[in-house]
Amino acid sequence: MASAGALLTVERCTKHFGGLVANRDVSLEIAPGEIVGLIGPNGAGKTTLFNCISGHYHPDEGRIVFDGHDVSRARPDRICHRGVARTWQIVRAFGRMTVLDNVICGALTRTNRLGRARTKALAMLEFTGLRGKDDELAAGLTLADKKRLEITRALATEPRLLLLDEAMSGLTPTETAAAVDLVRRVHADMQLAICVVEHVMEVVMPLSHRVVVLDHGEKIADGPPDAVVRDPQVIAAYLGEHGGARA
Amino acid sequence: MAASRRIALAVGLLAALAYPLFIQATGYTYFQTVGFLVFIYAMLGVGWNFIGGWAGQFDFGPCVFFATGAYTAALATVHWGWSPWLGMLAGIVVSMAICALITFPVTRLRGHYFAIATVAMWMIAQPIGATWELINGSRGLFIPFAPAKSTWEAIWTLGWGGRSKALAYYYVALLLFVLTMYLAHRVDRSKLGYYFRAVRDDQEGAEAIGIDSRVYKTAARCLTAAVFAAGGVLYGFWALAVFPDQVLEMNWSVLPMISTVLGGIGRLWGPLLGAVILIPISQVMSATLGSGPLAGRGLDVIVYGIIIMAVAAFRPSGLLSLPWARWFSRG
Repeated sequence: MASAGALLTVERCTKHFGGLVANRDVSLEIAPGEIVGLIGPNGAGKTTLFNCISGHYHPDEGRIVFDGHDVSRARPDRICHRGVARTWQIVRAFGRMTVLDNVICGALTRTNRLGRARTKALAMLEFTGLRGKDDELAAGLTLADKKRLEITRALATEPRLLLLDEAMSGLTPTETAAAVDLVRRVHADMQLAICVVEHVMEVVMPLSHRVVVLDHGEKIADGPPDAVVRDPQVIAAYLGEHGGARA
Repeated sequence: MAASRRIALAVGLLAALAYPLFIQATGYTYFQTVGFLVFIYAMLGVGWNFIGGWAGQFDFGPCVFFATGAYTAALATVHWGWSPWLGMLAGIVVSMAICALITFPVTRLRGHYFAIATVAMWMIAQPIGATWELINGSRGLFIPFAPAKSTWEAIWTLGWGGRSKALAYYYVALLLFVLTMYLAHRVDRSKLGYYFRAVRDDQEGAEAIGIDSRVYKTAARCLTAAVFAAGGVLYGFWALAVFPDQVLEMNWSVLPMISTVLGGIGRLWGPLLGAVILIPISQVMSATLGSGPLAGRGLDVIVYGIIIMAVAAFRPSGLLSLPWARWFSRG
């Protein structure tokens, strides 16, 4: 079923928690170098799907294939070694470590040598614009910088697929613009596939090559952003009246 | 900075080396023994820091490995006449193997639940220690003592007696403490140390960047087990006996922990500072209370309890976390 060119294939993924179905029969593909937006109202199952892909949950039914390997039951650390990195809706920076040490931990995924990891971490911090805050404790950073740090740490693991879970929620408009710019630069410089879960439509639509819409755990649309916003099912389920007006 | 640090280290080491010499000249051995205990507890505290400080998992049962080390070396000496140094190596290997075996299954737990599991291990170890015939049950093993004929032989068998015993054991404890500090320093600046702290700060976050939290929790506790095993061997040969009520005593787990928490958890020098403050308290108190009405009522344990509560309430990150540099530069 997995088409030859896909980097990630999710096949009929179903996940429930007790009686609650968080994902039902969700299938999607992500090609190398593609930016896919994953949207849907609160509780649509976006984060659950992310957790299934990154190995923090395992799907009850269906299959997740990354780079030709079935990773449906793999642990998160193995999936990271295969080339999937993620960030979190609620940031999970290592609070009592410095910014530099956080990123070194990421870089150590690909090397055992501390010196090499440090060099790479410094380069990554330079790239994401956190250089100069190297020695600050992660717990003391602003929310925007914590989210940026998480992206830097994820990039240090040399992923081929980056999963960003609401990397822009809770940010001011200026910070959001800076974060969007960062995602664009990451994509341009590193040739990664990126999947963004986002609430802010103004962010997802111009950024994504393709948009996948979830509602009540099911996929209701999958296509180019301008086609998706005109889809009546999407408008009904997600955008509503004011959202349709905005698009 | 690096130079001043090196000088401080050299001065500290010289002071530790010179400390008992003057007292030895007066004919007293009491304070050498206090020093011996301080370094044993400091060493165990540094060992506990691997799992408790760096990997952030509270371990209430490391005395199991203290006992395992002591019993392994004692058995090897009693049955095969091994040197305690070889026994120490064997004790370290056996303790680490047992630790890996019993710790890996509980690494899915974290926080309080991990701590409860380590208490359970200690509880299970007690009846085993008290009834297992191979290690003589509750009677324990007695280590035969034969006065050494030469200094080298004494070093090889840890066979000191009489007035030189306290002094010699003080230096052996100091040596083991220094080796433990070196190990901790190396681990602190290695991939292991980074991964331990990552698991401590955020386990899911750590797993998402490729860290297998179960493996690194187990590795941290195995390092703890190795240090406790070495400490147990030294203590067993000092006491010339290994029996369950002695080596499986809860204090071997709790006092190193309290020392570490008091000095500064997760800090290289925290356990030494804590042990230097705490351990002499019980010695000094038993000396000053003499045979008075308060003697022998465990008053030192009450004082420990008060210290733990005070640290937890006012400075949970320990004395070393206080802004000493700022105070001194102003002074």
